[in-house]
Amino acid sequence: MTPFLEKAHDHLLTGLEAAKRRGVAGAKLSFGRHESLDCEYESGRLKTAGAHENAGFSLEVLVDGRLGTASGNRFEDLDRLLEDAIALAAVGRQAHFDAWPAPGSATAVATHSEQAAALSRDDLLAPCAEIVDALKAFDSELRVDAWTSRSESESLLVTSGGVLHSAQKTNWSLGGHAQRTQGTDILMTGHGRGWGEVNEHFSAKPIIDCVLEDLRRAERLVEPPSGLVPAFLPPESLSMFLWPLSLGINGRNVAKGDSPLAGRLGERLLAPCFTITDRPHADFAPGAASMDGDGIPTREQVLVREGVLQRFLYDLDSAGLAGAEPTGNSGCRPYHPVLRPGSRHSDQLLAGIKDGIVIRDLIGFGQSNILNGDFSANVGLGFRVQNGEVVGRIKDCMVAGNLYELLSLDDVELSSDLDYQNATPHAVLPAVAVSSRPR
Amino acid sequence: MKDQLFDALKSNTADYAEIRVESEERTSLAYRGKEVESSTRSSFVGGLVRACTRGGWGVVTFDSLDNLKERVVEAGRCAALVGREETQLAEVEPVDRECPAELERDFRGVSLDEKLKVIGAYNQILLGVSPKIESTNVTYADTFRTVHFASSRGGRTASVRSYFMEERPRAICVLGATAREGSLVQQSHDSVSTNRSFDAVLGLEAMAEQVGQRAAALLTAPKVAGGPHTVILDPKLAGVFIHEAFGHLSEADFIYETPQMRSLMEVGREVGVKELNVYDDGSLGGYGGSLHVDDEGTPTSRTCLIRDGVLAGHLHSLETAAKMGAAPAGNARAISRHYAPIVRMTNTFIDKGNLPVAELFAGVDDGILCCDMFGGQTMLEMFTFSAAYGYRIHNGEVGELLRDITLSGNVFETLRAIDGIADDQYIAQNAGGCGKNGQSPLPVSFGSPHIRIRDVVIGGS
Repeated sequence: MTPFLEKAHDHLLTGLEAAKRRGVAGAKLSFGRHESLDCEYESGRLKTAGAHENAGFSLEVLVDGRLGTASGNRFEDLDRLLEDAIALAAVGRQAHFDAWPAPGSATAVATHSEQAAALSRDDLLAPCAEIVDALKAFDSELRVDAWTSRSESESLLVTSGGVLHSAQKTNWSLGGHAQRTQGTDILMTGHGRGWGEVNEHFSAKPIIDCVLEDLRRAERLVEPPSGLVPAFLPPESLSMFLWPLSLGINGRNVAKGDSPLAGRLGERLLAPCFTITDRPHADFAPGAASMDGDGIPTREQVLVREGVLQRFLYDLDSAGLAGAEPTGNSGCRPYHPVLRPGSRHSDQLLAGIKDGIVIRDLIGFGQSNILNGDFSANVGLGFRVQNGEVVGRIKDCMVAGNLYELLSLDDVELSSDLDYQNATPHAVLPAVAVSSRPR
Repeated sequence: MKDQLFDALKSNTADYAEIRVESEERTSLAYRGKEVESSTRSSFVGGLVRACTRGGWGVVTFDSLDNLKERVVEAGRCAALVGREETQLAEVEPVDRECPAELERDFRGVSLDEKLKVIGAYNQILLGVSPKIESTNVTYADTFRTVHFASSRGGRTASVRSYFMEERPRAICVLGATAREGSLVQQSHDSVSTNRSFDAVLGLEAMAEQVGQRAAALLTAPKVAGGPHTVILDPKLAGVFIHEAFGHLSEADFIYETPQMRSLMEVGREVGVKELNVYDDGSLGGYGGSLHVDDEGTPTSRTCLIRDGVLAGHLHSLETAAKMGAAPAGNARAISRHYAPIVRMTNTFIDKGNLPVAELFAGVDDGILCCDMFGGQTMLEMFTFSAAYGYRIHNGEVGELLRDITLSGNVFETLRAIDGIADDQYIAQNAGGCGKNGQSPLPVSFGSPHIRIRDVVIGGS
C-alpha cells in the first residue's frame, strides 16, 4: 500500500469499528484518490497545463434492514458522516441482502503501469503538438484542439464481511479535434483514445489519420439519400447504438420493471452475428476490475450469444431484489464488453454498399426513449456511400428507428477488424430511416 | 477565508491568478417504484487555483486547504510552461462582496422525514394513476454550495484585489414514470428547481398526476412521420431551442480565436426574423442560472444576443471579452471545485412577441404542437432537441397525443423560418442542466413565448 492508502486504511478500519459499536448490522467503507496531469492545445496553440489531486471516501451502513450512504473528503468528518449515514438508513432503501459477503477468490488483473504513471509533461505535450502540426499543415485555416492526460488512482474497500481490497490504476488519454468553418457551414470532427498502459496506441498518428480521413471525405457536400438505406457504423457508432442493451441488461432496471428486456432471457434479441462478452479481466482496459464495489469478485460473462440474450447483470442488492445471484457488476453495468468479430474486413463491408450512409457522429442520440431502443437524431458527421465509395459529406438530415429492430435484422454484418481496444467491430445495418428537407 | 486567500495570492508571480475554494453539502432522497431507492448525504471541500502568464493558463485542483501558497506557485509554474503570447484579460472593477443565500425557507432546516414524506406522496400518486405504470423515479435533492473567490485583479495590495463569497443553494424535485405494455416502454418526466425556498417542491400533486397519465397515454400515441413539419413550440421547448440553437453558438470561446467564426458571428449580422429578440441574464433573481458574481469575479448582467433579428452580442469570459473588445457580463462559470470556469449561459430566453397565442394556432392547417423537453444538443450550426410529447394540430385545433418528436435543424435556416412569436412567456425552472466540455449539469434556465416555425425536420420512419 502507498502511504496515502495506509493512512486511509487506518481511518476506514476506525470507521468500521465505530459503526459496529453503534450497532449497525453491516457497513461498507471505501476510499479513492486520484492524481493527474493534463495539457491542452486550443485553436492551435498551447493553452493550458493542469495538475489535479482529489480524494474522497464513502460509507454505507445497514441498519434494521435499511441502507444509508454518506460521503466526504475530510477524514475529520468521518464520525459526523457516520451519524448521517445511520440517520439516512432510518428512512433509507430497504436492503435486499442480509450482510456484505465474505471475501471470494478474485482473478488478478493488471490495471497499473509504472510507465504510464511516469509519463512526464513533455511526454504528454509531444503527441499533442504532432496532432496540431499535422492538421494545421493539412489546412492552416482549421481550428485545431488537442488534449492529453495521464492519471494515477488508488482505492481501498473495507466491508463488515471481511473484505479488504486495494487497487491501483493508471490511464492515459489523447485526442484531437478539428473544426472547419466555411460561410455558415461548420464541420467538426475528432478522435480520442485512452488505455491503462503505454502501448503503441499512445500515438498521434491514428488520431491524425482519422481526422484527416473525415476532412478529406467531407470536402464535397452531397445530398443525403432518403428513406430506408444501409448504414455503415465505425466502432464508436456501433458502441453508441448498443447503449440501450447495456440499459436493458442492467439487473436493477430489470427488477424494477424499467427494462424492456425483463422476462426475455433466452430470446433472440439481436442478429446472429452478435456475441457479446463482458471481460473485466482484460488487462489495462479502462473498465478492468477484479472486484466490484461490494467486494464480490468480477467474472467474464457472455451477455449475448449469437443474438440470444444470456444474462442480466446484478450487484449485491439488485440480485437480492430480483432473487438472482450477484454477478459482480457494480451498478449492474458491464465493465468491458467485447464483441465477436465478423468474417469480412470493414473495407469490404463498405465496398458492398450500393447506396447508403456512414454515421460517424449523431447529435441528440440519447434524447429519445432510448431505454425502449427508440432514437431519432441529427447526423452530426456523416457521409454518403455510392457503389462502395464515400462520395461526400451529408448534413441537415436525421436518422431514426428502433435500435433493437435495426440490430436484429438477419442482414446485419460485423467486420473482422476491431477498434484499438480490441472490443468493437464496424457494422453495416441494412435499413436505417433517413429524412431531410428537400432542397 | 478572505485573508487566507489573499495571503496565498502573495505567492503569485503570474500575470494573473485566482483561487476558488468551495464547500458543498448535498442531501438526496429517491423513490423508485414502491420502494425508497437511495438516501445519501455528502460533504466536500476543495478548490482550484488558476494562473495566467503570457496568455497560457495553469490550473491546479486540490481537496485540502493546506499548502495553498504552494498551489498558487504550481499553477504559476504550469502557466509559465505553456504561455507564449501576451496575457489579455478584460478590465473589470474589482469586487468585494458577500452574497449570502436568500432562502425564504431553508431546506437545511427541513427534516429527512419531511422530505421523504413529500416525495413519498408524489410517488403514490404516480403509482396509482394507471395500472400501466410499471415503475417510478421520484427524486428530491438539495445542494448548498459556498464559493469563496479571490483574484489578483486590481493590483498587488489586498485592499483592491477581488474577493467574493457567494452561497448558491439549489433544491430539485424530479417526478418520473415508466409505463409498460408488453415490451413497449414509455417514460414521462417533469421537475422543478429552486434557489429560493423548500416550499417550491411542495404542491406538485397535479404535476405528478399529469406525468403518470402522460406516460400511460404515450403507450398508444402514434409516432410522428419523419420529414418537414410546421411546428408550434411551447415555451419550455422553445426555451431549449434557443439555448441549443443559438445560445451555445453565442459563447465566445467558440468564436474568439477562429477568424471564420468571428466573421460568421459578427455583431450586426442578420440572423433571424425581425420580431426575434434573445437575451441571457444571470442577474434575473430566482432562476436556475441566477448568480450575483461569476467564477472569475465578474458581476452578472444582461446581454442582448439578438435584437430585432440582428446579432447583438456574445457571452464572454475575461479572456474572450478582452480579445473581442467586449465587456464581460458574468458568463464564466464552473460546475464545481474540480473545474476551471468556461463561457456558459445563465438564464437565456426569447422575448415576448405581439401575436396572441390563439392566432399562432389559427395559422396552422396541419402541424404539430411540441411540448416540454427531453433534452437538446448542438454541434454549433446544427442542433437537435426532443419534445417530451406533442399533439397534432389540424385546422388550428389541437388533436391527438403524439410521441417520439425529435426536431433537428440548421440554426441559421431555422431562426429565419420562425413565422410567429406569441405574446406569452414562461421561463422554465427545471431540474436539469447544461453540459459543455465535460462540465455537466450546470444549472441554467431558459424560456420563451410559444413560437411557430415552418418546415422543421422531425426524424422518423
